[in-house]
Amino acid sequence: MWRIRIHGRGGQGIKTASQILGSAGFYSGFQAQDFPLYGAERRGAPVIAFTRISEDIILERGPISSPDIILIGDETLLNDPQSAPLCGAEPTTLIFVNSSHTPESLSQKFSLITANLNDLCLQHLNNRTVYSSALSAVGARLLGNIDLQDLLQAVEDELTPHGISSSALKGNLDLAREIFASLQPVDILRKEEKVLTAKSLVLPSQLPVVDGAPIILEPGNMALRKTGNWRVERPEIDYEKCNNCLICYARCPDGVIGIAPDGRPEIDYDHCKGCLICAQECPGHFIHTVREMGTFP
Amino acid sequence: MKTQKKIMLTGNKAAAWGARMAGVEYVPAFPITPQTEIVETLAKWFADGTLQGKFTNMDSEHSMFMAAGSAGATGVRVFTASSSQGILHGMESLYTITGWRTPMVIVNVSRALATPITLEPDHNDVMSTRDCGLIQLHAETCQEVFDFILMGYRISEDPEVCLPVLVNLDGFYLSFTREPVLIPDEKDVRNFLPLYTATQPVFQASRPMARASAVFGGATYTSFKLQQELAARHAEKSFNQVAQDFKKYFGRFYGPLETFHLDDAEYVFVMSNSFATKGKSAVIKLRQQGIKAGLLKLRLFRPFPSEAIASALGGCAKVAVIDQNLAPGMGGITYPEIVTSLYSRKDRPEKILSVIGGLGGKDIEDQDFMAIIDHLDKPDRGTPLYLYDEGDVKGFNRLQQIAKFNEALK
Amino acid sequence: MKVATGGHKKIKDLHPHEAIAPGTGLCAGCGGLEGLRLGLKELGDDFLICNAAGCFTLLSVYPFTPLKGSWLYTTMGGPVPAAQGVRDALDIRMRYRGLEEKENLQVIVVAGDGSSNDIGFGASSAAIHRGLDFIYFCYDNEAYGNTGFQLSAASPFGSATQTTPSTYVHEAGTEINKKDLFEIWKAQKPAYLATVSPREPIDLSNKFARARALKGPRMFICMSPCPTGWGFEPKEAQLIAKLAVDTGIFPVKEYFEGEVTHTVRPRKRLPVEKFLERQKRFQHLFEPHRQEDVIRQIQKRVDEYWRNYE
Repeated sequence: MWRIRIHGRGGQGIKTASQILGSAGFYSGFQAQDFPLYGAERRGAPVIAFTRISEDIILERGPISSPDIILIGDETLLNDPQSAPLCGAEPTTLIFVNSSHTPESLSQKFSLITANLNDLCLQHLNNRTVYSSALSAVGARLLGNIDLQDLLQAVEDELTPHGISSSALKGNLDLAREIFASLQPVDILRKEEKVLTAKSLVLPSQLPVVDGAPIILEPGNMALRKTGNWRVERPEIDYEKCNNCLICYARCPDGVIGIAPDGRPEIDYDHCKGCLICAQECPGHFIHTVREMGTFP
Repeated sequence: MKTQKKIMLTGNKAAAWGARMAGVEYVPAFPITPQTEIVETLAKWFADGTLQGKFTNMDSEHSMFMAAGSAGATGVRVFTASSSQGILHGMESLYTITGWRTPMVIVNVSRALATPITLEPDHNDVMSTRDCGLIQLHAETCQEVFDFILMGYRISEDPEVCLPVLVNLDGFYLSFTREPVLIPDEKDVRNFLPLYTATQPVFQASRPMARASAVFGGATYTSFKLQQELAARHAEKSFNQVAQDFKKYFGRFYGPLETFHLDDAEYVFVMSNSFATKGKSAVIKLRQQGIKAGLLKLRLFRPFPSEAIASALGGCAKVAVIDQNLAPGMGGITYPEIVTSLYSRKDRPEKILSVIGGLGGKDIEDQDFMAIIDHLDKPDRGTPLYLYDEGDVKGFNRLQQIAKFNEALK
Repeated sequence: MKVATGGHKKIKDLHPHEAIAPGTGLCAGCGGLEGLRLGLKELGDDFLICNAAGCFTLLSVYPFTPLKGSWLYTTMGGPVPAAQGVRDALDIRMRYRGLEEKENLQVIVVAGDGSSNDIGFGASSAAIHRGLDFIYFCYDNEAYGNTGFQLSAASPFGSATQTTPSTYVHEAGTEINKKDLFEIWKAQKPAYLATVSPREPIDLSNKFARARALKGPRMFICMSPCPTGWGFEPKEAQLIAKLAVDTGIFPVKEYFEGEVTHTVRPRKRLPVEKFLERQKRFQHLFEPHRQEDVIRQIQKRVDEYWRNYE
């Protein structure tokens, strides 16, 4: 069995990528299973999806904690604690990152494969952040046991229900074809089955109600959760031109634009989700946007 | 013993008196037969100043239980009552508020569930709340109704429990039946059950808090659910302590079970609520005929007192569990619980029979008990024993003929 | 009687206080969150939100809460009776048990349009009938958003939802009109009733300031552009909200003591398609062919509404 885990963000087509890969595997004669992990998080937030492809019956369900292949659509997630794309990776795990950086610059611990999918996506889809076809093509090619025709059929079958136009479908097929041709299959080492050991189970002790019931006594502690990692693009205020009208402050749904003591608006990048309403609404267009790159160390 | 006055009360009035003596401060209410007399009585007492607090006419049981829970989370002593369809309509709220872990006492006046709709009692309504996380006390007499409400607040407000307590009484057979009930002085009740002070954080401006927030991940969910389980299990200990205390103050003692001629019994009926009285009468008559019958009455139904049940029934030869409820396709709801309690005992009964009777208020008569004895001596027939006879079949046939009278003329 | 106004005239008058901390799991660009944020600025921290199941369930996820005040998650149909229980219990404690007035809480219900128009509708009607002293904030994104955008009674005619898709047989998608919750609530004569738009923060804040000074049921319906369900880029949320007002599709108004006042009037109403064409849920009205009759019906309904007021 090959276990594939795909990481990206809400809106990047990560679930669809897992489905294209699942269908492609199925069309190539394998047993297949795919499913997304639905958290509460939304567009821009980290998303994980899974595909299992096997010659035999698949006797597994649920998340893949120990993947054979990890496909990472968004390099900014590499060190994200919530997404944790490298969690469960072993030296034998094949890890692909959509990045223009060299593998060595991204990780010392693991040997990665990198390729920049953004430009290809832009070229074929006129959109640089939808990776459903691109990532599934990467996965199918690296696996080496999926036919190109099966992959293309899967792209068509999975994208059609989304109401995709015929030109957009053609773009996706071309994209998949180009990526498939540009990569070579990689030998994936099968993991050795480990000897089962029993968990040590505990009888929980009874807690006072304040701990034993869902009660939170720390008002506003949501700020501990950093939603800055949702951002694909970062709004930046041009303070040279900003006239402190505070429209951006008023319009920010998450309230992450504060007012500094000197009256200037200030963006809290730890939490800014990158909706970019501020940039859109700034009357003088003094907030410009920059693509988030290299948030990894 | 303290002075207690004895007055004739219906089960419903006894419930209202229990709430009054408990010093309830808040009653969100919605009428339903056969419960309505309880909230009517309390409404009057709030209106004329006998009770201090608020009585709110709600728009449904779903709303009523929600208001009861949120008021509990805001630190007042809450009482409410319902029945039958009302319990089902409020079911989502019941599960919700037990998870909030706020104390209150709920009275359910048992009434069978639709379809067909009827007013008369059986226990499918209260059994539907079996898995909510409520503590359940089942009453046989009007006195038990009154006493269980006072005990119920002590158990519910025990910091190690903090779960709603449901006191169950049968519609008609208890709700509208008057019998003498001992009512203690209010000041004596205050010693047993002081006015309410919350032992957990409650909503007020100086204590902002979030309650009942969503969780993600099965492990967190399991953690909270297991705490509910531990609290519910702890309630048996709490019940026994409160029962001792209750005896000290008022002279009446309630164990989680009541045994009746059980010691040397060869045939045992397991029953609960008001029909247990009928069972006791049958036991006496059977013994007069030389049949060693006995009865075990369940008072504490949640938490389920498995150990106590196993001790009581261990060594008994033949046991009939009489369920006044029906899980179609399975049979009685308490039957498998009783059987489970006894499974690991070497001296478990040689036979445990599932009996279904009393549905929709259908009487259980002496001859029914005799029939149960007969069947305890016969081989199993693979289904529960239904207390349903030739007369019932004939009567039903007559109704069917009327129901399709014109059809028959064609 | 004139209601107290918040006296806000410009952006800088907005209350600097933020009652909602960042970090929530709500979608980037959520119009409803912006509405709630602006509204809570006027109410201080001594509040309790009874929340209905819906998108805003995600405001508080254990062990986190974004609120400086209190929160009680209830059920989809249960936030209003929960508010009743809290209100009653606080009143009881203040009257009989010596709870100080400073411990009082402003009880707020937060519910989506699905809860408000459908499953929780009876309970809110009952609470207005009882005169419950509370604020009701309905974030109206015109569908069951949290479950993936299915038809609610607030879904507008001509919009596509997951359960009223546009097909060859049912080209318009949703073929029934949005329930007029404002008019229904108005018929019960609540103490105060207003529609608000996140695009009109001054108007919104003044309305919350007014509501704060009143007692009894105070009902808000907040137009809540939803990037995820309506199908537009998150950055356009405010633009969409503006177009809803400028086309007259969403009248910004208030009801107080028997009178309805439009507090923000579109100077010259834009054609409705300016609002429709920017959203994926109305895309089928323009592609593959223009559904002129549907667009005209939507326009007609808006024109009929404003005929009484212009």
